[in-house]
Amino acid sequence: MRKFFKIYWPFALNYIKSNFVYKGRFYLFILRKFLGMFIYYYLWMAIYASSASDQLGGFTRSEMILYVFMSYTISDMVMVGISSEIGSDVIDGNVAMSLIKPINYRMRLVFQALGVMLYRAVVPSLFIWIGLEIYKAAYLGMAVSNPLTILATLCSIVFSFFIFIFFDYCFGMLAFVTTYIFGMNIIKNAVLNFLTGKLMPISFFPEILQKVFAFLPFSAITYVPVMIYLGKYSGLQVLFQLGKQVLWVGILYLLGSFLWKKVEKRIVILGG
Amino acid sequence: MSENLIELKNVRKEFVTAKHYPGFKGAVKSLFSKEKIRKTAVDNVSFAIKEGEMVGYIGSNGAGKSTTIKMMSGILTPTSGSCLVNGLEPYKERKKNAKNIGVVFGQRTQLWWDLPLGETYTVLKEIYEVSDQDFTERMAFFQEVLNLQDFMHSTVRTLSLGQRMRADLAAALLHNPKVLYLDEPTIGLDVVVKDRIRQAIREINQKYNTTVILTTHDLNDIEELCQRIIIIDAGKKIYDAKLNQLIKDYGDSCSISFEWKQRPNALQMEKLQMEKTQMEKTQMESQQNLGGKLEMHINESNVQVCFSKKEFTIAEVFAKIMGLIDVKDVQIKETELTDIVKRIYQGNKGNQV
Repeated sequence: MRKFFKIYWPFALNYIKSNFVYKGRFYLFILRKFLGMFIYYYLWMAIYASSASDQLGGFTRSEMILYVFMSYTISDMVMVGISSEIGSDVIDGNVAMSLIKPINYRMRLVFQALGVMLYRAVVPSLFIWIGLEIYKAAYLGMAVSNPLTILATLCSIVFSFFIFIFFDYCFGMLAFVTTYIFGMNIIKNAVLNFLTGKLMPISFFPEILQKVFAFLPFSAITYVPVMIYLGKYSGLQVLFQLGKQVLWVGILYLLGSFLWKKVEKRIVILGG
Repeated sequence: MSENLIELKNVRKEFVTAKHYPGFKGAVKSLFSKEKIRKTAVDNVSFAIKEGEMVGYIGSNGAGKSTTIKMMSGILTPTSGSCLVNGLEPYKERKKNAKNIGVVFGQRTQLWWDLPLGETYTVLKEIYEVSDQDFTERMAFFQEVLNLQDFMHSTVRTLSLGQRMRADLAAALLHNPKVLYLDEPTIGLDVVVKDRIRQAIREINQKYNTTVILTTHDLNDIEELCQRIIIIDAGKKIYDAKLNQLIKDYGDSCSISFEWKQRPNALQMEKLQMEKTQMEKTQMESQQNLGGKLEMHINESNVQVCFSKKEFTIAEVFAKIMGLIDVKDVQIKETELTDIVKRIYQGNKGNQV
């Protein structure tokens, strides 16, 4: 296990380092994230202001504020796209450079994503989270989250990271078949915005769709950790949700291994 | 285990691609067509390479060199046939095999693009589990033969092509692989850097007894490095022999051009023509009619005689021509490897038609 970490950890570390290389990129990315969050925030505030009741889809106005910021930061952290990486590796043939090394291609990608995730957890998610806790206590008149809730949320975030990464790996395998997956990636992201609950809480959807969404792994990516954080689940429900996440991690991992076996034989190295 | 480090038996690789049609209409048509083209990149290639050998693997563009290298490094799976590298089937045991090989693809890099060069080596050190002692020792060796110290702390994207190639070579060798595949390592480099890279490859081969397989279009690379040469064309192996054997087999043709003081008159011209007929006759009558080339070109300022050294000696030709015309200057041109390879390529094309 230690050896395993020693081999793959540099990939995570180097991705964190790469993020600091371009100054302009560093600041623009932070700016972009804040812009995105505040657009959502004002959008929802406008919806609440024009609505007669102060509860929508089971969310009070204060809860919605928390939902917007938390869902945004959590999806930003855990949805580290590796399929686009696979896509570009396939298109310019650089997948060859990964395959000549005695490492597992998927593990390499996972650790790269882990690097990005850890980076994003600090820049700027952690600060938003702290800010949110202060805002919660000072302005919304709610109690600061208890340590157990925070712990459960963090666990859930880690699992949702693995769900997304293993799912995206399976999705990326398509690149070996179709070569070009940029367009499909855009479609995937648009659909995921709905399915993960990033765009709006899943409880806003009709009953029947909610059931379907609960069955799919995607709601566990954003919706579940945020709901845990908001304290919307009882203790037992939290355990059930975490268990479901673990199950999905396992299923998607196995699916990825299976697809890789299928695809490995038909790898074509493009460009020389 | 056999004494051969690398063994390829009847290896074949086919690619299936969608058919594309020309023009805008064609592009639209391609979207809906299901037609596939089967292309054979490597066709029934077999060879064996011993430990410590340096082999030049050459062929024209698209002959299948890189595809063969990719199969030997475990990236591609052969359609049929078997390939063994150090007793392993590379594509079945890719990770195990990867520890035995080092690869440099001249047109790609395995260096970390956005980070200082040194970072790449620390990552590779962990990946290949190189011990601290080996790491320091080898890095010192690379510093010496490849002169990396000047740009060790520069970001990879700022390196020049020559620097990058040297760095890439060091990256491929950090774990002291048994086999080193070099796919056009000197592409686009200047003479000085080329020389340094060749020197380094030679030293590494001597120091660690590394087996080197080199594909290149620069035949000077081959001449300076390899003892053996394998030529493939259109996916088929067409030649496989020691380099000196190749020169013995094909390097017999010679061309001498005689520059004259003043243009020969009609009589001398006639005599030259007669001499040529005479030589052709000797060639025909000789015991071992090798059917070598025999040509005489009369140009504005000189006469050029091309012949095979197996049939005539240089002195013979000299004597014949000098007796006929007033010579100012003589140039002897013996075959270079480039010409030989060109001849083999063309010969192969001729056979196919």
